Amino acid sequence: MIFRAVEDTDLIRQAIRGNVESFNLLVSRWEKRVYNYLLRITSNREDALDLTQDAFLKAYQNLRKLDDPGRFAPWLYRIAHNEAYSMFRKRRPETDIDELEPEATGTKITVGGSSVFPVELSLAVASALDRLTVDQREAVVLKVYQGFKFEEMAEILSCPVSTIKSRLYTALELLKSELAPVKARD
Amino acid sequence: MSCSPFELKDYFLEELPSPQRQQVEAHVRSCAACREELDRLQLTQAALFTLRDEEIPQRIAFVSDPIFEPSPVRRWLGAFWGSTARLGFASALMLSASIFYFAAARPAPAPVRPAVPTMAAGAPSPEQVQQQIQQAVAKAVADVEAREQLANKQLVAGLEQRIQESVRYVQWMEGEAEASRKRKQVQRVMASNQVDDSGDVK
Repeated sequence: MIFRAVEDTDLIRQAIRGNVESFNLLVSRWEKRVYNYLLRITSNREDALDLTQDAFLKAYQNLRKLDDPGRFAPWLYRIAHNEAYSMFRKRRPETDIDELEPEATGTKITVGGSSVFPVELSLAVASALDRLTVDQREAVVLKVYQGFKFEEMAEILSCPVSTIKSRLYTALELLKSELAPVKARD
Repeated sequence: MSCSPFELKDYFLEELPSPQRQQVEAHVRSCAACREELDRLQLTQAALFTLRDEEIPQRIAFVSDPIFEPSPVRRWLGAFWGSTARLGFASALMLSASIFYFAAARPAPAPVRPAVPTMAAGAPSPEQVQQQIQQAVAKAVADVEAREQLANKQLVAGLEQRIQESVRYVQWMEGEAEASRKRKQVQRVMASNQVDDSGDVK
């Protein structure tokens, strides 16, 4: 008897054949990552949970349209991204997405060279992320926290790799100036 | 501004292929400014990682309800119509099958071409319909012409018969007139003879 790990592609094929339990297993593997991705771009736990549920429901309904099960992760994040932006537009239809300011998740704390406790540092990071635009923050979340490649990010966000790099580089510069200023090294 | 041969952020984000990574690493070892830039990026990343992932407040699970569950046939049909690749393959298969079928079902060419064109099976083409109409019109015209010719023949025959009857009647009348003239002539001759016998009128 040969044991091997059940891969996502196996679960996807079984779910397409109508096996709901396989899809539930798939959900249990990805729900935390998708929730945290949505939490970091919406900065609201309730919204993130609702959007996560909506994203998985839509994924289940459209699973048969996924031609390549190996591309499940970018496909799922693309759905989650669309759900989040759909919510942004419903709430402020007249406002450009880039101009949206998320709800504050923490007090704005400048670390400017002084040593801080981990909790304070986390708050500083949350504050620094909040200062980014939604697009820049999403690029940082997908790259740094979710570990996607540029090509996968382009697929998720439906824009060229050059745009992804531009957003990410600008965001890193801003974060670097906040979280690792030059004088902090002295 | 970095003097690295390749973008330091690409190196930091692990988006450079191996040979370029080695070049950047060699450059950073000898360049203090780029080394400091890389240190700051790593410090930023370390700070970002202090923000830990949260547990999802409520687990997500789907329940299968047989009432709402589509039948296997419906699921198969849904999967079939939902997949462009399957649909394309099925279309290509049907096209190939129809080509092979018509190629195999086409009759071998006959040594003598039939006088009347055979009708193709299935729906007739516009050319065939036009040909059928032309044939029907020609047949109708031929029938009408035949009927007219027959009527003309009968009319001519009737006229000829009437002319012959008229001729015969004229001939009979001429005969009758001649006979009458002869009878009158005989009567005159007989009357003159009787005068001579009775008293010498002359």
